[in-house]
Amino acid sequence: MNDVVIVGAGLAGLFAANLAARRGATVTLVARGRGGLSLAHGCISLGESDWDSLPSQHPLRLAGKDRLASALAAFLEITSSQGIPYSGQADLTLHLPTAAGSVQSVHLAPITLAAGEVEVPVDTLIANFDGFRDFSASLVADGMRRHGARATVVDLPIPDAPGSRDWYSTDWAMRFDDRWPAAEVARRWAPLLKGANRLGLPAILGLRKTTAASELQDLLALPLFEIPTLPPSLPGLRLERLLRRAALASGCRILEGSAAIGRIDGRHAAGRALGVVAATPAGPRPVDAGQVVLATGGALHRGWQAERSGRIHESVFDIPLPAASERDAWVGPSALGPQPYAAFGLSVNTSMQPCDASGRPYFDNVFACGGVLAGADRSRERNRQGIDLVTASAAVEAALA
Amino acid sequence: MNALTTDLLVIGGGATGLGVAWDARLRGLSVVVLEQGDLGQGTSGRYHGLLHSGGRYAISDPASARDCARENAILRRIVPHTIEDTGGLFLAIPGDSQTYVEQWLAACRREGVAVDEISSSEALRREPLLNRSLLRAFLVQDAALDSFDLLHALAQAITRAGGAVLLRHRLERLTPRTQGFLAAASTPNGGLQHVEARVVVNAAGPFAGRIARLAGADLPLALGKGTMIAMATRLVNTVVNRLKSPADGDIIVPVGTVAVLGTTDTPVQEADDVGIEPWEIDLLLQEAAALVPSIEDHRPLRAWAGIRPLYRPPDASSQETRQLPRAHALIDHGAAGGPEGLVTIIGGKLTTYRRMAEDTVDLVAQQLASSARCRTGETVLSPPPRRFHRLPDRLDDLRPSGVVCECELISTVDIRRALEASGSAELDDLRRDLRLGMGPCQAAFCALRSAGILHSRDPRLNARAALESFLEERWRGLRPLMWGAGLRQLEFNRRVYMDLLGVDSP
Repeated sequence: MNDVVIVGAGLAGLFAANLAARRGATVTLVARGRGGLSLAHGCISLGESDWDSLPSQHPLRLAGKDRLASALAAFLEITSSQGIPYSGQADLTLHLPTAAGSVQSVHLAPITLAAGEVEVPVDTLIANFDGFRDFSASLVADGMRRHGARATVVDLPIPDAPGSRDWYSTDWAMRFDDRWPAAEVARRWAPLLKGANRLGLPAILGLRKTTAASELQDLLALPLFEIPTLPPSLPGLRLERLLRRAALASGCRILEGSAAIGRIDGRHAAGRALGVVAATPAGPRPVDAGQVVLATGGALHRGWQAERSGRIHESVFDIPLPAASERDAWVGPSALGPQPYAAFGLSVNTSMQPCDASGRPYFDNVFACGGVLAGADRSRERNRQGIDLVTASAAVEAALA
Repeated sequence: MNALTTDLLVIGGGATGLGVAWDARLRGLSVVVLEQGDLGQGTSGRYHGLLHSGGRYAISDPASARDCARENAILRRIVPHTIEDTGGLFLAIPGDSQTYVEQWLAACRREGVAVDEISSSEALRREPLLNRSLLRAFLVQDAALDSFDLLHALAQAITRAGGAVLLRHRLERLTPRTQGFLAAASTPNGGLQHVEARVVVNAAGPFAGRIARLAGADLPLALGKGTMIAMATRLVNTVVNRLKSPADGDIIVPVGTVAVLGTTDTPVQEADDVGIEPWEIDLLLQEAAALVPSIEDHRPLRAWAGIRPLYRPPDASSQETRQLPRAHALIDHGAAGGPEGLVTIIGGKLTTYRRMAEDTVDLVAQQLASSARCRTGETVLSPPPRRFHRLPDRLDDLRPSGVVCECELISTVDIRRALEASGSAELDDLRRDLRLGMGPCQAAFCALRSAGILHSRDPRLNARAALESFLEERWRGLRPLMWGAGLRQLEFNRRVYMDLLGVDSP
C-alpha cells in the first residue's frame, strides 16, 4: 500500500514525487509516457511577478505565493545534488537567447544556460555547426544584437561530423557523453575564437555527462554557454533525467508505459479513491494508495481530452470539465495569440482538490497539480514551470497533511 | 511608360487562365498572364485533387459528364506526370436507391462514361477500409491530378514558348481603347506594370466580377464555397464516390500521402469567404463514415475551402449553387453590348480546363481574325525539371542528410533552390512550391529550420516575421479541426514556438 500514487512524469509529477519521497512517504509514480520536458528549455520561468493581479482562480493564486520560496529551495537543492546546479532567484529576471532569435525571460536556469545572459556587455561568438538543422546561429546572433548584445557567428568544425544522416541534438549529446575528443576539438577551435569573451553553443553538450560543458570551457579557457535547440531539448531532458534519478534515490518507485485509470470506492459517500489501475504492458495492475496526485498534464499530454462532440473530460477519473460545447469557442483567431482551450482543466480549491461547479471536492483524497489545472494560458503567461513547482508542492502538502 | 504589348492578356493564373494562355500561344498569339497571388493560391490550388471520369455528373449534368469523360482521356495523354491513375469506385450502400443505380448506369452508357461493375468482395479486397455492407461497386476512370504540378507545367510551357506569366501582379485598371485595352497591374515591389492588349480574357475565377467591373462590364456570379478535409492517412488507394445524387461529402480522393474528403457547397458573398464552420467538418466526417466507417479513428490533418465561381444567368432564380450547371460559361461582353474585346470564361471544373481554354481561344482567335486551330489536345507538356509534389520523386533524389521537413522529405537544397527560383521571402510560398509544412506536424520543426536557411541566405530579411506568419498560415488550416489529435498538435507547436523558442517575445 502506497501512501501516495502520483500520475504523470512531467516536471510537476517528478517534482511532486521527490517532495513526497523526501517527506518519507511511500510513493509510486505511474506514467503513460514521457512528460513535456523534452520540449522545454529546462529553465524555471515564473511569469508575472505580481500574483495579486492574477485572477483569483489562477493556479498560482490558489497555491499561494508563500509556497514559492520553499518550492524553489527544494528545486535548487535537488538539481544541485544531482550535479546540474541552477542559478537565479524569484525576484530577478534572466534574459536568455533562443534558437529563433528571441530573448526569453526566466528566473532559474542551469548555469550553462544562465551564462548566456543577453545584457552582459561582452563580445560573444555564436557557434554554427554546419549541417545541424535544429539551431540557427545566424538567427541567434541577430536576436542578441537586437537586444544590444555584441554577437557574431563563428563556423566551428566538428571532428567526425555525421554524414550518413541528419543528427538530432540527442545524437550529438550521446557523442559528448561517450567518446568526444574534447582536447582535439579545443585545439582546432581555439584559433577561431580569438578576441571573444564568451562562446554560445547549441545545447548539445551531453545528456548523462554533466561535466562536458565545464571541461570544454576549461580546455578553451573561454566562458561557454548553451542555447536550447529545437526538440529534443537537452536542458529539458537533463532536468527530466535528474529528477527521475533523485526520485528513485529517495525510494520512489516508477511504473512507466502505463496509463492510469482511477479506482473509486463506491461505498464511500463523500467519494474516495482507492488508487489507480495501471494499464501496464503485462496487463492491468492495481496500485493501491491512500492519496492520489494527478500530474497528468493538459491538452498535449491528455490529462484531459476534447472530443469532436464537444465533450471534454479529465482522463484518470473521467471528471467532466466545464467548457463551451461549441468547438469554435475553444480556440482563438491566432495560433500564438490567446487560446481559450489553454486554460481548460480541473478546477481545484486551495488544497488542490478537483471540485465541481459548486466548489465541492469530487474526492477526499485526490489532488491535482501542473498542466491539468484550469485557469492559466501557460504558453502566453510564461509561468508553466512556476505553476508546476508551486502546485506540486501544494498538492503534496495537502495529500500528506 | 514601360508597357508590354500583347495580342492576348489573360487575367488569372489558375488552370483556366494558364490553359487559355497556353492554347493561345500554341496558336501563335502573343500572351501575358497576370496573377494576383502565387501559382495555386486560388481555386485551382484548393480543389480536392479529383480528375473526374464523368460518373459524378452522369445524371445531374450530362454535358459536364461528357466533357469530363473526353477530357479525362486527353489529360492522361498530355499531362501524365500530374496524374496518379488510382481509378475510381462508385459505391451503393444500404439505404441508397437501387433505381438510382440503374438510372446512373444507363446515363453513364449514354454519356460515354466507362463503367465496370465488380463484386463487393473484390471492392473490399482492393479497399479494405470500405463499408463492409456495401451493395454494389463500379469501377470508373477517376484519378488523382495534382493541380500544383499542372499549374507549374503550364506556366513553364507558356514562358518557354515566349509568353509571360507575371505572379503577384494585381490588375488595378482596365481601360478600353479604340482597339483593345490598356491594363495596369500593381507589382510585388509596389510599382505599376502596364500591358497593351488587343483582347483580354477574364479568367479570374471568383474574382472575375471585380475584373469585369474594372472594364465597366456586368457579370452576375454565384459563389459557392467547397470545404475539404485532408486526413493524415491515405485511407484508400482508389477514388471513392457514393453512388447517389451529388451531395455534400460524398467523395474521398487519395492524394499523395493523405486522403481528401470533399466537399460541401455553401453560397457565399465574397471571393475570400473561405472560413470554415464546425458543422461543415462534422458533415464531411459523418458522410465519409458511410464509405469508410473507421474514419473517426483517423486524424484529420487540415481543412480548407475553395470558392467555385459559377455564372448566374440573369434568369436563374435558384439560390443553391449546386443546382446551377457546373458546365462553364463563355461570355463575349462585346456581343452582349459591353466592352469590345473582353471575354470572360467562368465555371467549369479543373478536369475540363483544357476544353474551356479551347472554347475561349476559338472565340478570341475569331476576334483577332486568326484561323489557327487548337493544338493543346495533342501537345504533351513536359514536366518541370524537378517535381516536388510526389513522394517517390523525392525519395529518388533524397540526399543522406539535410532534410528540413521529415514529413514531406524536403531538403536544404530544395529550399535553397526554391528561394532562388521564386525570389520570395515568404515561407508560405515555399509551402506551395515544396509542400513544406503540409505534413502531420504542421511545420513544428521545418518552420524554424527553413527560417534559419532564409536568414543565413540574406540576413537583412525579417526571418522571424516570416516564421511567425508561416505558423499563423498553417494554423488557418488547423483551426477547424481543434479536438483530439489536432488540438494536441496545436499545443505541441505552441510549446515549441512560444515556451521554448519565444517567437512571440521581443
